[in-house]
Amino acid sequence: MSEADGTRTIRTDYLARVEGEGAMYVKLEGREVSEVKLRLYEPPRFFEAFLRGRSYTEVPDITARICGICPVAYQMSSARAMEDACGVRIDEGPIRDLRRLLYCGEWIESHSLHVYMLHAPDFLGYPGAIEMARDHREIVEQGLQMKKAGNALMTVIGGREVHPINVRVGGFYRAPTRAELGALIEPLERARETALATARWTSTLEFPDVEIEPEHVALADPGGYPIDRGRIVSDGGLDIEPSGFDEHFVEEHVEHSTALHARLRERGSYLTGPLARYSLASRALRPLALATAREAGLNSVCRNPFQSIVVRAVELVQATDEALALIDAYERPDAPAVAVEPRQAVGHGATEAPRGMLYHRYEIDEDGTILDARIVPPTSQNQRAIEEDLRAVVERSLDLSDEELTLRCEHAIRNHDPCISCSTHFLELTIDRE
Amino acid sequence: MNEATPLGVLVVGVGNELRGDDGAGLEVARRARQRARGDDIDVRELRDDPIELLDAWVGRAAAVLVDTMRSGASPGTVLRLDASHEPLPAAHRHGPSSTHATGVAETIELARALGRMPTRVIVYAVEGRRFDAGAGLSEEIAAIVPAVADRVLREARSLRSVTAQ
Repeated sequence: MSEADGTRTIRTDYLARVEGEGAMYVKLEGREVSEVKLRLYEPPRFFEAFLRGRSYTEVPDITARICGICPVAYQMSSARAMEDACGVRIDEGPIRDLRRLLYCGEWIESHSLHVYMLHAPDFLGYPGAIEMARDHREIVEQGLQMKKAGNALMTVIGGREVHPINVRVGGFYRAPTRAELGALIEPLERARETALATARWTSTLEFPDVEIEPEHVALADPGGYPIDRGRIVSDGGLDIEPSGFDEHFVEEHVEHSTALHARLRERGSYLTGPLARYSLASRALRPLALATAREAGLNSVCRNPFQSIVVRAVELVQATDEALALIDAYERPDAPAVAVEPRQAVGHGATEAPRGMLYHRYEIDEDGTILDARIVPPTSQNQRAIEEDLRAVVERSLDLSDEELTLRCEHAIRNHDPCISCSTHFLELTIDRE
Repeated sequence: MNEATPLGVLVVGVGNELRGDDGAGLEVARRARQRARGDDIDVRELRDDPIELLDAWVGRAAAVLVDTMRSGASPGTVLRLDASHEPLPAAHRHGPSSTHATGVAETIELARALGRMPTRVIVYAVEGRRFDAGAGLSEEIAAIVPAVADRVLREARSLRSVTAQ
């Protein structure tokens, strides 16, 4: 920090409690914020390149390795894209229900980790979950209980807690029995109670009165709250099939990030994830989740990123309640998968990862060899919107001390639960004041 | 769980066998399991999230962990660290916690904060040589696995007296 020439530098070498490695740079000239960069320096991982030449059947297992927090999202978007290429749609029936159930498990795991372990310390004023646990044991215990329920769901359907091994193009290798799913009912009922209590608790937290502007983009599923399929819609009038992604979205390289920045061709930055999903689809929530949202004080649209913790809690109610409904209605399918025969084609798949829309596109030849792959994860789509949000946070908070401003910026970033590993791991925060 | 008969000593090998010597803890666990026959000692391998230890430790009076370290010591160095009453030394912590990298040290502190710590927790840390992508231990680390497994088992047997209290 240099006060003499009007320069003020604030630096955090590692921003903890985010997924992956990156840095934040903020430059202030006087009271003007001249530069804000979310700099992701995680090395590029080249998944799209090494998918070329592999078989179309391999995508769920290879892409699952992109992320240890949301592997199911990668499996679902990739399987859906390959099925699209091969002219197969799985839009109803027990295989689709099982996919949605598995996806609920991932939402429960991912959201509970973020709400209780990563985000709650920001609101309660602790550097991390360990320090918070000493004073608020119950919060961490709730998080662990929820995560365990999610893990159990993942294990029964996916074969293991992380990087499931039971997912294939066309469905699953093995469908669980009703009895196996029945064992999940009690832990999921407890998890639903915890989610309800969590939504009530998060609604009592103090939120700065702010709103952010970016266009909200999410999937729209006529059958319910969007998870595993849907058209891509926005509050700016967008309403397209996933196959129209390239026509409306563009990804660009920027020097300060190893993740491509995405924008709407016509209108620039946009936001995907819980806030967008909730704002575009709150009417499609299950009655219990919708009532929870209203009780928690959420309107039908939420543009305050600090309130994302409430939205995630509502989505935890949604995911646990839906998982229980799916288990209740489950009939084991005759076959765990449908046949998917390759053909020369291009396929598109988009699903709602916990952090937002995840788009995949594959081109395969007649024997199913992958010729080209595109993977557009939520965090790379959100980078611009996060930078804009951060700029607004700094502009509102110029009078804070360096230490306070740094904490505020870190909190602002964690509001968006960025998964840097997906988009290209720790965030380094630098604020330059001139 | 019957509180009158606490569970035996739990030995957990932690690691990722797809990252060279990071698989050493798992290999030590496998070797220890073969030699622990008939003993009241459970041996497990943990490949995923160390937070799983929080559940694995429920009802346990004593636990041993085996993990690989990258501290700058010469490869093959084996440290015995007693985490029962104080955190692991800073050099053996992972760095800032993230969900991708909740390390053993952070998990131990979380367990302590939550009152889920066994009375005794002993950590054996093996300095690795290589952690690049690909399966297989380096020769020098593979060579010391049997001796480390023996030390870990001796430790676990001596800890049985804790579980009997």
